[in-house]
Amino acid sequence: MKPAAKVYTALIMLFLFAPIAILLVFSFNSAKSLSVMQGFSLYWYRELFRDAETLSTVRNTLILALAASAVSTVMGTAAAVGIFRLRSRALRAACDTVTNIPMINPDIITGISLMLMFVFVGRLFGAATSLNFWTMLIAHITFCLPYVILQVLPKLQQMDSSLPEAAMDLGCTPFRAFLKVEIPEIMPGIVTGAIMAFTLSLDDFVISYFTAGNGFQTLPIRIYNMTKKTVTPKMYALSTIIFFTILALLIMTNLIDTGPGVERRSRRTDDVAAAPAPEAPGRPRSRGHIAAFIGAILAVFIIGILIVGRPKKPVLNVYNWGEYISDGSEDSFDAIQGFEDWYLENYGHEVELNYTTFASNEDMYAKISSGAVSYDVIVPSDYMVARMRSEGLLLPLDYENIPNAANIGESFRGLYYDPDDAYSVPYTFNFTGIIYDANQVDEADTGDWELLWNPKYRGRLLQFNNPRDAFGTAQYRLGLDVNSEDPASWRAALDALKQQQPLIKSYVMDEVYNMMESGEAAACVYYAGDYFIMADAQAPGVDLRFYAPENTNYFVDAFCIPTCCQNKELAEAFINYMLEYEPAVANAEYICYGCPNRLVYEDETYADDMGEDAMAILYPGLDAFHERYEQTAFRNLPPDVLNMINSLWEELKIN
Amino acid sequence: MKERDGLRLARRLALAPYGLWSLLFIVVPLGFVAYYAFTDNDFAFTTANIARFFTATSESDGVVTHTYLLIFWRSLKLAVISTLLCLLMGYPIAFILSRASARTQKILITLIMIPMWMNFLIRTYAWMTILQDTGILNSLLRALHLRPVHIIGTETAVIIGMVYDYFPYMILPIYSVMAKMDLKLEEAARDLGCDSFGVLRRVIFPLSLPGVISGITMVLIPSISTFYISQKLGNGKFYLIGDAIEGQYVANNLHFAAAIAFILMVILLIGMALMQRYANSRAAA
Repeated sequence: MKPAAKVYTALIMLFLFAPIAILLVFSFNSAKSLSVMQGFSLYWYRELFRDAETLSTVRNTLILALAASAVSTVMGTAAAVGIFRLRSRALRAACDTVTNIPMINPDIITGISLMLMFVFVGRLFGAATSLNFWTMLIAHITFCLPYVILQVLPKLQQMDSSLPEAAMDLGCTPFRAFLKVEIPEIMPGIVTGAIMAFTLSLDDFVISYFTAGNGFQTLPIRIYNMTKKTVTPKMYALSTIIFFTILALLIMTNLIDTGPGVERRSRRTDDVAAAPAPEAPGRPRSRGHIAAFIGAILAVFIIGILIVGRPKKPVLNVYNWGEYISDGSEDSFDAIQGFEDWYLENYGHEVELNYTTFASNEDMYAKISSGAVSYDVIVPSDYMVARMRSEGLLLPLDYENIPNAANIGESFRGLYYDPDDAYSVPYTFNFTGIIYDANQVDEADTGDWELLWNPKYRGRLLQFNNPRDAFGTAQYRLGLDVNSEDPASWRAALDALKQQQPLIKSYVMDEVYNMMESGEAAACVYYAGDYFIMADAQAPGVDLRFYAPENTNYFVDAFCIPTCCQNKELAEAFINYMLEYEPAVANAEYICYGCPNRLVYEDETYADDMGEDAMAILYPGLDAFHERYEQTAFRNLPPDVLNMINSLWEELKIN
Repeated sequence: MKERDGLRLARRLALAPYGLWSLLFIVVPLGFVAYYAFTDNDFAFTTANIARFFTATSESDGVVTHTYLLIFWRSLKLAVISTLLCLLMGYPIAFILSRASARTQKILITLIMIPMWMNFLIRTYAWMTILQDTGILNSLLRALHLRPVHIIGTETAVIIGMVYDYFPYMILPIYSVMAKMDLKLEEAARDLGCDSFGVLRRVIFPLSLPGVISGITMVLIPSISTFYISQKLGNGKFYLIGDAIEGQYVANNLHFAAAIAFILMVILLIGMALMQRYANSRAAA
C-alpha cells in the first residue's frame, strides 16, 4: 500500500471504531452516566449478569437469529437452485423482482406491511393474539431470504455446468451428484448467506418493532423502550462483551485457518450486480476456515442460550414502561424474582413472570387495541386508563384477590379516570417540573414556566419530545386548559411552542439524563422523580436543582388488566404482590416517583433512604393531592382532537 | 435420461417453498399496505389518506408549506447527501482494499464488518457521547486549544449518524466487484496510453458500476426511512418521513401510516427502476 492509502485507511478505521472505543471505555464507568467518565469499575458488568430480563432478551435475540438464519439458508439455497434452472424468462423475471422487493423496500415498510397482514388475519380468525414469536420469526425469515439467494445464485452461475454432468456420466445418481458436486461448489455462497442472515436478524430493530408481540422481546426493542428512563452503561457493557466475543471468534478461526489462499478463477463480472456481497475476502475463503467460524459461533451461542435459558412454566405477561420496576439492578430488590418466589410459597406452584416494556402510552395502546397481543397486566397513565376503559379494553378487578389494595392512601382513591376504582390500582404518581443547573441559571430566573422561554438561555433549554407534555408546558404558562377541545386554544399553545423553538437545544426523552448530567443544557422540563437520578450522576461543576411551577401536570400510572388477559387470577395476584411492603418500597426507591401506597410513604426507613429534600418534593401535601390532581391532570380527548394535536405537533417539528 | 427429467422436476419443487413463502409474506403484505392506504377506519374505500399526504398544509409566520411534501423532501435531501458521502468515502477505500495483499484484505474487511455486529441503537447512542457540546470531540478540541464545534442537533449530526451506520453497505458491494476485476484490463489501458485518471474514468469506474449501484441502493433506502438516528442525533428537531410513519402508527392512525408507506414505496420503486435501467444501458454500452 502507498503511504497515502495507508493514511486514508487509518482515518476510515478511526471513524468506524471511534464510537466502539467510546462504548468500551464507558462500560467501565463507575458512575451511571454515558457522558461523564468518573472512574474505573466493573460494576456494570456485575449488573448485567444480574439482570435476568436483559439476559433473557439476549437469549431471545439469539434464538430468533439462529432460527431465522437456519430456515432462510435452507429455503433460500433451495430457491436459488430452482431459480438457476428456470428456463422461462417470465418466471425468472418474476422471481428476481420478488426477491428484490424486501431489499429495495425500506424496512419500515416491510415491518408495517407484515404487521397489517398479521393483525388483519388474526382478527379474521378471532385469535387472541396475532403477534408473537412466530410472526417475528416469519418476518425475520422473510427479510433474510433475499440475501441468501443473492449469495448462492452467483456461485451457481460460476460453477462449471459440466461438473454435475460429468459426475452423472461417471455413474453418480443425480441426487448424489447434487450433494457431492454442486453443494460443495456453492458452499461459500451458502455460508456467506447464512452469516449475513444471522447478522441482519441480530441487529434488526425496525421490523421487530412492528411485528413484536406477546412477551417475546428482543434486545434492540428493549433498548429502544428505555426511552422514558435512561440507557445505562450496562448496555455498553453488553456491547463490549459482544465485541470481544466476536473478536475472539475471528482470531480463533484465523488461527485454525492454515489453508492456502485458494484458486482464483475467471468470473463473469455481472454476477454480483445485484449482490451486495460482504462475501468476506475477495478470494474465496478456505472451507475449513468458514466451517470453523460457523462452528465456533454456534458453540458460543448455544452455550449462551443454555446459561441464560430458563425452563417453561405458566406465564404471566406484564407490559410496563421501560426501567419501571425494581429489577435487582444496582443492588436493589428484584421484584420480578420476588413475585415468582412469593407465588410459589403462597400458591404452591411455579410461575414465570414475562416482563416486557413499552416506550409510551400511545405505543402500548397501539399494540393492545390492535388486538394483536395479549398481556395480563399493563401500566397505563391516567388519561390512557380513561380511554381504554371507555373503549371497553379493560376488565373490572376482583378485589377479593387484591386485599392489599387497602394499602392505597385515601388521597389516591376515586380519581377522575376511574371514579369507583373498578378497573385500576395506582402504582406511582408524579408531576412535571423544571430541573436546572444552578451554575448556569440565575436563581432570579427560576420559579415558573418563564425559564423555558427565557432568551438568556438560548440554545441551552430542553423540551419534551412528546406532544401532550410539550403542549402542556405552553398551556400551563399561558393559563390555558390542557384538556380543551377548542382548536384555537391548542393553536395558541402551538404559537408559544414555535416562539420557544429557537431557544430549544433539543426535544428529549431519555436523552435528558445525559444532557443535564453533563451540563450540556442549562434547564429542562421533566418528571420530578427523575431529578434525583440525574442529581446522583451529575458531573463535577454541575449543580442540578429542581422546582415545580405553580401550575403543573400531576399524573398517576396505574395497574390495569386488559381484556386480552389470559389469566386474570394470576394477574390479580401479581397486582396484590406489588402492593406488599417489600416490593412496593423497592419499586418506589428504584423509580423515585411518588408512591400511593401508605405502607411506603408512611415508612420511616423509606423516608430516610430518600432523604428529607426528596420527600418534600415528591409528597408536597398529600391532603391537597386529590384536588390538585383533578385540576391539572390530562384527560382523555376525543379522537379528532387527538388527531389535531398530532398534526399541530408535526407542524412544530417540521419548522 | 428419465432420471434427469426427475432431477429437473426436483429442482422446480425446490423453488416451491420459496415461491409460496414470498407470495404469502412479501406480495400479500404489500397488498395490505395498499388496502389500508385506500380505506378509512371502517374499511370503506377512500382516497383521503393519499390526498392528505399531498395537500396537508401548515402555516408559520404567514408562510404556507405542504407538511408531508416538505418532510419527504427533507428526508430525501439528507439521505442523498449521506449516500453521496458514503460513496465518496467508500469508493477509494474499496479500491485500496481490492488492490491490497490477500492477508490485508481479509483483515480490513473483517474490521469493516465488526461494527455491524454491535447493536445500531447503541452505536448511535455512542455518537451522542462523542458529538455533544460537552462531548468527547469538544473536550479534545479544547485540550488542543481549538474552538469547540456545535454539531449535535444539526443536519451534520444526522448525516454523520447515517453515514456511519450504513457505510459498510457501500464499501462491501463495490469492493466485491473490484476484487474480481481483471487487472489485465488496466494494464492494457495503460499500454494504450491512458493516464491514471483515464484508467479510473474509462476502465475501473464503468466496470465497478454494478457495485456502485447496489451500494447506493443499500445506503439510500435505509437512510431515507430511518427514524431512530434523527431522533437521537438530531435532538428531536428533524422530523423525517420515517418519524412521520412511526408517529402515525403510535397515534393509532394505521390507515394514514399505510398511506405514507405506500407513497414512499411507489416513489422508491420508480426511482430504483430508473436507476437500474441507467445501469443496464451503461453496461450494454
